[in-house]
Amino acid sequence: MLIVKNLHAGYGTSEVLTGVSLAVKQGALVALIGPNGAGKTTTMRAISGLVKPARGEVFIDGRPVQGMDASRIARLGLAHSPEGRKVFGTLTVEDNLLLGAYSNLPKFFGFRKKSAKDLERVYDLFPLLKNRHLQSAGTLSGGEQQMLAIGRALMANPKVMLMDEPSMGLAPVIIEEVFTIIRRLKKEGITLLLVEQIAKRALEVADFAYVMERGHIVAEGTPAELHKNESVLEAYLGEVSSVV
Amino acid sequence: MDQIMVFQMMVSGAFMGLVYALVAYGFQLTYATGKSINFGQGELVMVSAFICLSLTNLGLPYGIMVLLGLLCGALLGLFVERSAVRLALEQKSEGWILLTIILGLLFFSVSENIWGRDDRPFPTPISSDAFQVFGISVTPVEISVAIGVFFIMGLIELFKRQTLLGKAFEAVSTDRDAAELMGISANRTVMLSYAISGVVAAMAGVLISPITTVGPTMASALVLKAFSVAVVAGLDSGFGVVAVGIFLGILESLTSYYIGSGWREVPGLTLLILALALRPTGIFGKAVIRKV
Ligand SMILES: Nc1ncnc2c1ncn2[C@@H]1O[C@H](COP(=O)(O)OP(=O)(O)OP(=O)(O)O)[C@@H](O)[C@H]1O
Ligand SMILES: [Mg+2]
Repeated sequence: MLIVKNLHAGYGTSEVLTGVSLAVKQGALVALIGPNGAGKTTTMRAISGLVKPARGEVFIDGRPVQGMDASRIARLGLAHSPEGRKVFGTLTVEDNLLLGAYSNLPKFFGFRKKSAKDLERVYDLFPLLKNRHLQSAGTLSGGEQQMLAIGRALMANPKVMLMDEPSMGLAPVIIEEVFTIIRRLKKEGITLLLVEQIAKRALEVADFAYVMERGHIVAEGTPAELHKNESVLEAYLGEVSSVV
Repeated sequence: MDQIMVFQMMVSGAFMGLVYALVAYGFQLTYATGKSINFGQGELVMVSAFICLSLTNLGLPYGIMVLLGLLCGALLGLFVERSAVRLALEQKSEGWILLTIILGLLFFSVSENIWGRDDRPFPTPISSDAFQVFGISVTPVEISVAIGVFFIMGLIELFKRQTLLGKAFEAVSTDRDAAELMGISANRTVMLSYAISGVVAAMAGVLISPITTVGPTMASALVLKAFSVAVVAGLDSGFGVVAVGIFLGILESLTSYYIGSGWREVPGLTLLILALALRPTGIFGKAVIRKV
């Protein structure tokens, strides 16, 4: 579904990613964890085309997409719920969701009708967004904006979804809600690459995980395998002795 | 008697101000999406007006002439985007400032060679016979300026709010990267904004030319005033331009009445200097920070 091979990318002259390889199979939930500044966000941005990779390959559904504009990659079926949510603050909640489905909708008239089913599905997942559908997105709370960012990414019925730190800056109860949603999406069979600071929570929901440090992958395996890996345990899960 | 005269000046000034507002609105459109403006926008107004004049001389009816004129405006806007703005933005440089000025100069000399240096009357089926409203005389041509300005601005705002393409336009304005992630091509949206901005310039030409006549020099005066209006009203704030435009138009008119017609350019320039002085980061400050 999503395959990344030997990806190199950076900003200006500073190289951040030095050969990242990973794969997310159809219907799998894969976590990408690692310390601050490891390059997790950069990996996601390089996959979705916001950062142009210097070297390496990205395949979506077997199709190479590296080097394409982000909008083109999005139209090919990749959705990316970015770090910091990045909702369109001046637009309403519903407009944000409609734009999520932009590539599948008519551009002038009749787009509301055509998106009705997808809207219904997202409102079903996030009833709170339905209650606030005419409110401008900038006035939502952080948790609500995160729900909106996830809902917006789902609107396109993506083949692959990237989710960057959905728990960032949220209260514990809200984080709980976010993970409930992630579990529900997993049950529905979504193909998801999840970046999380709270590694423990990410490993609870993931089928497979990669650990990243200083621009490359240093460990990988199923959550159970990673729990047996002492160095990973020590560094990211804060529990040296207890093994699951 | 004297008071009536002052009101008369204010009303005519206000109509002029609406045209400044319209050109300033064109600046806002491209600034919103591409964080750049066309400093040769005045030349776009002039070239479109000249093209309309030639079309009329070919015997085309007024309505068709206006539509073709607006279409030419859109094409000219696209040309500016492709040949000047895109180049600079791809290199993340502020070179578009110089490039659009140069393009404007180019348009200026091309027009001089094609249409000559003289100011020429611009035919319109709308009458310029004044009628009296509360003792102030207003011409149908002036009324048509107001209607035209509000019509085109209303139409564009409607497009931005009611169509998905318009919402995408807003999305690119607020967050270019996030918009790209939705599958919205930022490049194409910037192109669209330049095309619409070109239509706006052509509309300004069609509306103002019956009052001011058409000539190569109409561009520079117009662009400076529109720029002052856009800077004072804010390059990213919607209808503020209408209020500021009318204000400047009235101020100009009164200045030339009380001090002398040679001074009529002074208020606009003063306004611009004040606006620049009061914004320590510079007008494009925000755009520069965004790119770092
Ligand atoms: N826009 C940018 N320009 C220059 N350097 C950047 C930029 N964004 C990130 N970097 C650098 O790239 C490196 C990796 O950053 P990245 O945001 O990918 O890390 P991360 O793993 O997502 O971290 P976090 O967990 O804090 O979100 C860091 O050293 C950072 O300073
Ligand atoms: Mg990050």
